[in-house]
Amino acid sequence: MSRIIYRSIPALLVLAVGLVWMTMGAWGQSKTGKRVSDRSTGNRTTINSTKGGMAAHSTSNGEWPHYTGDLAGTRYSPLDQINADNFNKLEVAWRFKTDNLGTRPEYKLEGTPLMVGGMLYATAGTRRSVVALKPETGELVWVHAEFEGQRAVNSPRQLSGRGLSYWTDGKGDDRILYVTTGYRLVALDARTGTRIPSFGKDGMVDLKVGVVYGTGQQIDLEKGDAGLHSTPIVAGDVVIIGMAMKEGMTVVTHNNAKGQVRAFDIRTGKQLWAFHPIPRPGEFGNDTWLNNSWATNGNTGVWTQITVDNELGLVYLPVESPTSDFYGGHRPGNNLFGESLVCVDLKTGKRKWHFQVVHHPIWDYDLSSAPILADINVNGRAIRAVALPTKEAFLYVFDRVTGEPVWPIEERPVPKGDVPGEWYSPTQPFPTKPPAYARQTVTVDDLIDFTPELRAQGLKVIEQFRNGPIFNPPTLSKPGGPLAGLTIGTTNGGTNWPGAGYDPETHTVYAPASNASVTPIGLIEPPEGFSDIKYVLGRAGQPFRVSEGPGFGSAADFPQEPRRRAAPTAPAAPGTAAAPPARGGEGGGGGTFVQGLPLLKPPYGLLSAINLDKGEIAWQVPHGDTPDVVRNHPLLKGMNIPKTGQNGAVGLVVTKTLVIMGDPQVTTTSAHPRGAMLRAYDKATGKEVGAIYMPAQQSGSPMTYMHNGKQYIVVAVSGGAYSGEYIAFALPDEERPTSNGGDRQR
Amino acid sequence: MKVRIRIKIAVTAIIGLAAIGVFAPTPRAQETAQARSVWEGVYTEEQAKRGAAFYSRDCASCHGSDLSGADEIPALSGPAFLSNWDGLTVGDLSERVRITMPPNKQGRLSRQQIVDILSHILGANGFPAGKTELEPKTEVLKQIRIEATKPRAK
Repeated sequence: MSRIIYRSIPALLVLAVGLVWMTMGAWGQSKTGKRVSDRSTGNRTTINSTKGGMAAHSTSNGEWPHYTGDLAGTRYSPLDQINADNFNKLEVAWRFKTDNLGTRPEYKLEGTPLMVGGMLYATAGTRRSVVALKPETGELVWVHAEFEGQRAVNSPRQLSGRGLSYWTDGKGDDRILYVTTGYRLVALDARTGTRIPSFGKDGMVDLKVGVVYGTGQQIDLEKGDAGLHSTPIVAGDVVIIGMAMKEGMTVVTHNNAKGQVRAFDIRTGKQLWAFHPIPRPGEFGNDTWLNNSWATNGNTGVWTQITVDNELGLVYLPVESPTSDFYGGHRPGNNLFGESLVCVDLKTGKRKWHFQVVHHPIWDYDLSSAPILADINVNGRAIRAVALPTKEAFLYVFDRVTGEPVWPIEERPVPKGDVPGEWYSPTQPFPTKPPAYARQTVTVDDLIDFTPELRAQGLKVIEQFRNGPIFNPPTLSKPGGPLAGLTIGTTNGGTNWPGAGYDPETHTVYAPASNASVTPIGLIEPPEGFSDIKYVLGRAGQPFRVSEGPGFGSAADFPQEPRRRAAPTAPAAPGTAAAPPARGGEGGGGGTFVQGLPLLKPPYGLLSAINLDKGEIAWQVPHGDTPDVVRNHPLLKGMNIPKTGQNGAVGLVVTKTLVIMGDPQVTTTSAHPRGAMLRAYDKATGKEVGAIYMPAQQSGSPMTYMHNGKQYIVVAVSGGAYSGEYIAFALPDEERPTSNGGDRQR
Repeated sequence: MKVRIRIKIAVTAIIGLAAIGVFAPTPRAQETAQARSVWEGVYTEEQAKRGAAFYSRDCASCHGSDLSGADEIPALSGPAFLSNWDGLTVGDLSERVRITMPPNKQGRLSRQQIVDILSHILGANGFPAGKTELEPKTEVLKQIRIEATKPRAK
C-alpha cells in the first residue's frame, strides 16, 4: 500500500488561513465541553447532550444534517420562507467553484452539502476534498484532502461523491465522516478538518480490508475493485458503509469482489457487523445460487443511499445487481439478495426480512434510490411503511416492520430469452399499486409521432431490435438483427441515484423519472483474453467497447502524460478504421434516434406525486424545458409542441409548500441564455410556480436550510463546458417575509 | 445604515463575482468581424481525415467509432452532443478536451491533434468542410460558434 500523505491544506488557499484562525478563535470550547456561540454571527446553537447524539440536529431546526435531510430518506424540510409568491425573486447568495480541489476541474459534481450547527459541509473536486463553508457567504473555513495516488486512480467510483455525514456526542466531539475515492472511511474534527486520531488508524479505516472475492480471498488493497459515491450513514453511534464496483456491463471476470455492507463504531472505527448480500454457505439465501455459484460471482453491493429507522433499530439496504449486469449464465438461480430490498438489524446486521424486486437480475435494474420511510394510513390502518423508488418506475411499498407488501405484489410469468447458458426466472414481481410512474416498455404507441414520416422512421428503428414488454430479455446481437433487446428504464431510466422525496404531512412521494432512456441490450462474446465471462454488452459488427465506471479517469491523480508537441501526422490507420461519420444528429443512444430526435414521443422526463395512503398518482407533470434539438428542429418548424420535459437523473428537495428540482439539460431559449432552470412546483397540484436561472444543468440534488433568519437553497451544477459549482440562492432582504425570521423555526 | 451595508455587500459581491470570472467577457461580447459559425466551413476534409485516425486511436474505445457514446459517456454526435454544445464555441470544446481527455492518457494529444479530432467530430455532425484548417489557437477557436441549426441566410 502506498504511503498516504495526509494534509489539511488551508495553506494552499491564502484566504482560508486567516479564516481558520478566526473561526478557531470564535469556536473555542467552553470548559463544560459544549460549543459556544460564534460571536461574529450570533447564530451558533448550543447543542444539548441527547441520548441518540443526533436528536438536536434536524431539518425542523432549519438544518440539513443528513444527505437526504434525515435518516428516513425524505429530502423534506418544513421551511417556507421561500414559497410560490417569491420563488422567482431568488438571487444568487454565493457560489463555490470546485476547480482547484484537485489537479483539474470536475464536470460532474454530484454532491449535496449538509448544514449543521451553523456550518456547511460538502465533498468537492477531483481529489474528493471535504470543505467547510460559511452558510451565509460560502466562504471557505477549512479544506481537507487525502492524497491517495494510484489507489484513487484504480477506483471504480472517481467523482467527488454525493457527500458526507455528521455526528456529535452532544458534548463537543463533532465529526465529519466521508469515504475517500480510494475507499477509506475518514473521521474529521468538524471544527478544524483534521483527522480524529483515535478513530481507526490515525483517523482512517481502510475499507478494502475485509473485502473479498471467490470463497473469501482478500482483494488487492491497491487495485481491488471497491469504492463508493454515496455517503456514510450515521445512525446514533453507528456508521454504515455500502460498496460499489466498476460498471457491470463489460466485466473482466464474473468472480469479482463481493459487495458488502458494514457498520462501524463511530468513536473508535471498530467494525460492528458485516452483511453479505451474497450469502455464504449456511446463511439464508445461499441456496438461491445454484451449482455453488455464490463462490464464483461478485458485485451485489449497495452503492446508493441506505436509510435507517432509528426508533425500530432497522436498516434498509437497496442492493444492486450481481455480476454481470446483463448476463447471469454463470450464476443460475434467483441470486438473493441481488436487486432486493433487505431489512437488517441496526445492532447486529442480521436480516429481518427481504423482498427481491427482480429475480435472477439480467437487466441492470439495480436498486438505485434511498428507500423512504413513511408513516401512512391505508383504509384506516396505520402502517409504518418503506417505499422504494426504482429505475423500473415501480414504487414498491412495504410494511417496514414485517416486510409485507402494503398492496399485493403478484408473481407474473415473463418471457424467456434464448442466450446460450443463461438461466431465466419464469416469473417476476409486479406491484398492483401504485401504478408505474414512468414508461416501462417501448411500445409502438410510444413512438415519436410529431409527423407521420417521423413515426414511420421510428418504426424502422425498432424493427432492428427485439421488442417486448417489461423484462424483455437481453439477446445475442446479430448483424442481420436483432441487434439487441430493446428496453427502457434499465440502465438509466425511471428514478436513478438522486432518488425521490417525501412529504410526511400529506404522505406523498415525489418521484422524478427519466421517461425516454431507451437501452438496447445486445450481447457479444468478449474479445479473446478479455474476460472469463461468456457474454458482455456489445453490438454485432462494431468494435468492442469497455464500459468504465462513473467518473472513470476523473480522479485527481489519474495518469497524465507530459503534454508534448507532436507533428500533425496521423497515426497509422488502425485495423478497424473509424466508421463512416454518422449523418448529422444520428448518434447517441445506440442508434435509437430518429433524425436526431428521441425515438419516443414526449414527455421525456417526469415529476410524479404519489399518494401513499391511496397508492395512487396524485399528479404528474413533465419536468424540464423542451430540449433545443426539438425546439429548433427543421422538420418541426411551425409546430406547436407542448413542454416535453427532459430525460436525465435529477433529484429534488421538498419544503412546506414546494417541490424544487433543476433541469437535467441545458437549453437556450428566448426567455433565457444558455443554461438550465431551477423549478418550483406547487406540492399540492404540480403547477410550476417559479423558475430561476442556473448557468448549467443540475448535477447534484438541492438542499435547503435557514441561517440568521434567511432560507437558502444550495444546488450543484456542472456539465459540458461548465465545471463543478455549488450555488446558493436566497431572497433579497426586502422580499423576505418578516414573520418567518427566526433562526430556529418550529 | 442598512443601505450602506447593502452597498458594501453589493461591492463585495461584484468583486467576488469578478474574481471568479462571472463578468469575464463572453464569446458573444468578444464578437468581432472574425466571429464565425461552424456552418461556414471552418475545417478541411483532409484535416478531418487525420482527425478520424486520432479519434480511432484515442477516443473511439469509449465514445464509440460512430461517436454515439454510451451510458455515462457522452455522445459526440447527434442531439445530445448538439444540445450540450449549442451556443458555445469550438474553443470551449477544445479546452474541455485539452483539460480532461483522454482520461487514461491525459496530455497525450497535442493541440494540433485536438483540432484535427474536432474536425472529424464537426464532420460527423454534418457541419461542412471548407478550404482552411481549424487552427490550434484557443483565441481563434473561441470565435467559432457551435450552432446546432443552420442560421438562415442573410
